[in-house]
Amino acid sequence: MAAFVPFGEALAFGLASGPACMAACGPVLVPSLLAERTGIGHNARYLSVFLSARLLGYLVFAAVAWEIGALAAFLPASRILLMGAVNIALACVLFWYAYSARQFCAPSCSSSKLVNIDRKEDRGAPGAAALGLLTGLSLCPPFVAAGIRAAQLGSVLQSLLFFTFFFAGTSVWFVPLAGMGCIARNQAVITVARMTMVLIALYYLSLGIAMLIGRKPYGY
Amino acid sequence: MKLRAKLGYTGAGLTVFAALLTPFLLYGLFSDGFAALGLHVDEMYSGGPKIRTIDKGAYSITVHRAVYPHMLQTEKPFVQLDWSPVSALPAHVSDLVDVDGDGQPDLRVSFEVPKDPKAPLRVDVEPLTPRFEAMRNAGKERFSRLIVRVDNSVLVRVPLASQ
Amino acid sequence: MATKACLPRIVHTPPRGIGRSILLTLPILLWSLLMFSHPQGAAVADRLSLIAGAITGVFMTVLFFMMMRTGTTYRWRRYFFVSVGLLFPVGFIHNIVAMRGTMGIPVEEMIAGRTPFCFMPIPLLILPAAFTRTLVFPGSIVPSGGASGHGIAAMVGIWLALTLVMGKGWCSYACFFGGIEEGVAALPRRAKIRKIDPRWRYGPWAVLLAMVLLSLALFEPAYCMWLCPFKAVSEYVAARNTVGLIQNGIFVLLFAVLVIALPLLTKKRTQCAFFCPFGAFQSIFNKASVFEVKIDQARCKPCVLCQTACPNLSLTSESVAHGEALLSCMKCGACVDACPRQAIVWHIKGTEMAAKPERARLMFLYAAWAMAVMFGGSIIAQGLVTILHFLPLGGI
Repeated sequence: MAAFVPFGEALAFGLASGPACMAACGPVLVPSLLAERTGIGHNARYLSVFLSARLLGYLVFAAVAWEIGALAAFLPASRILLMGAVNIALACVLFWYAYSARQFCAPSCSSSKLVNIDRKEDRGAPGAAALGLLTGLSLCPPFVAAGIRAAQLGSVLQSLLFFTFFFAGTSVWFVPLAGMGCIARNQAVITVARMTMVLIALYYLSLGIAMLIGRKPYGY
Repeated sequence: MKLRAKLGYTGAGLTVFAALLTPFLLYGLFSDGFAALGLHVDEMYSGGPKIRTIDKGAYSITVHRAVYPHMLQTEKPFVQLDWSPVSALPAHVSDLVDVDGDGQPDLRVSFEVPKDPKAPLRVDVEPLTPRFEAMRNAGKERFSRLIVRVDNSVLVRVPLASQ
Repeated sequence: MATKACLPRIVHTPPRGIGRSILLTLPILLWSLLMFSHPQGAAVADRLSLIAGAITGVFMTVLFFMMMRTGTTYRWRRYFFVSVGLLFPVGFIHNIVAMRGTMGIPVEEMIAGRTPFCFMPIPLLILPAAFTRTLVFPGSIVPSGGASGHGIAAMVGIWLALTLVMGKGWCSYACFFGGIEEGVAALPRRAKIRKIDPRWRYGPWAVLLAMVLLSLALFEPAYCMWLCPFKAVSEYVAARNTVGLIQNGIFVLLFAVLVIALPLLTKKRTQCAFFCPFGAFQSIFNKASVFEVKIDQARCKPCVLCQTACPNLSLTSESVAHGEALLSCMKCGACVDACPRQAIVWHIKGTEMAAKPERARLMFLYAAWAMAVMFGGSIIAQGLVTILHFLPLGGI
């Protein structure tokens, strides 16, 4: 029974951190979901790909950090450099996503690789995966806290399992976002989604550059 | 007249009536209602509620509850300490402060009190427990790490060390 | 495109008689007397407040009289709105500088909760408050002295009341920033840029969505920190490092482009039409508003004069074909006044189309102008008090 205790803790920690994780992923996830086509099923599939890639990001980071012994002692300076690079990458993906969604068209025609409103094919996965992976690597505070706790466990496998249960707890909060599939997609919604992505990408870009050049990412 | 039209005109009439009521009733009702919702300004700005006062004779030190960041706020958790009244402070303040009330001092806080109220303040904080971060000649660096004068008090915010 | 052969038949409305116009204006005169007959402050300020209040009351009454006499709305409303836009910064900046010596908000004021609260962050506060019962704004819920003004609760209260009455009419009768660009847009005779991609109309919704999401993630009023162009004419966070300077530079740039340059080139309220997230938020309340603008298809011969006149691009060929303005309609009256066939009318939801449109217009105007006198009028009066305060002394 004692071996399960950390994982119950991980799940509870994930549930408690869920709002913060949703707030962290919201600026990326909400406009990209809006740029996808209507349908709860389609949006749920998109969300699943996003979350799976996010989990992959968590696990890759956890495994690498464990191996190099840096999980518990990931220095703030190194963390900021990594976050800066991830933010710039996120901005680039969002810019490309906004550009790709420029063709809102009838169901029979296809658009770019990242976004497709064609009913016959479902090729939104690469975009969802890219965004999910990058948000998973963005080291939000709940993730860092989970990492520090996971580092106290005996093996890399336990650490990875801890992250997985933590992730499951946070993901509960994302389920309602599949309801965005109920929103009808038309030129207005797609245009708003694209513009929002550009604005958020600009923010991430400025944040990433500020982090990389060592400037405080706030003005006051 | 059809029912819909009657409802429409009734709504329009009520709207005009609401406009006339606004300065006398609605404005106060809505304002008081909002104030009664129990919301509070983010403690990152307000410094958190006061929990203890340490009497130092002519002046006192008020200890606030520790403030922790929400969501993705980039600020660190901190504790705010208020020295007041400023008029009763010596030119050089150097106090041992028991933050958690366990009878043991947790910090030594030192700062000069210039005569000019608009002169910038600088503070040195020496933590006596690993719970707090040190501050050397700190000014107004960020919300979680600063010294400022607000009205008749000097406020010092000491960040909590990462755990 | 309309050719000479099919120019719309112009319908001229005779002006309303002077006596009847005065009669219809009387309620507003009484309302103005009520609103401006309570001076505050010391004896000198009493005199100044009385004078400013009298000027404002006469101004508002005369404008309403002209609305009644001419049967038009937009031009007279614009005079009021531009006055608010010009005089708000006068009174506000003077008060701020008098209190703290600078337009910049020092961190001490933010900690003390003395940052004045404007209506713009309202939509940004909702999600953080829902999750944590916290207001992410460095102000005070109730007045706490200094520049805190009447507090956050007061602004929320007035916003709620005005929105209940006017819906998105807020953007034409209450916003104390919109008058600046409306005045600028009125300056040129003709627009230099006439073709505008209609997709830019979705800009405010994108800004709203982005700012709401970022405000929740960062737990700060993201629009106020990064994108508000009106910081250039009110106040801003005092910059203490490079990023702060960049933030302040962004405000000035956005003001110069969206509030000055583009309105001059397009004769449109470009900040409102393409950017303002609060405007997008207010559009939602247009659904609940009982007043609207409707187009009588029987009278309409598509001449696009209404689309050209609309400062907010709230009329498109599709919406005109449907007989209505878009959700973003600010109820300014420009389209109603521009239509040569009186095909666009003020309308009360549920009533017969074009059944006594003047009744609908009157009911809307009484409600909206009462609010305008109370809120915008007080801003005009405050600005006048500031100007009058300096006149005898010749300066600060």
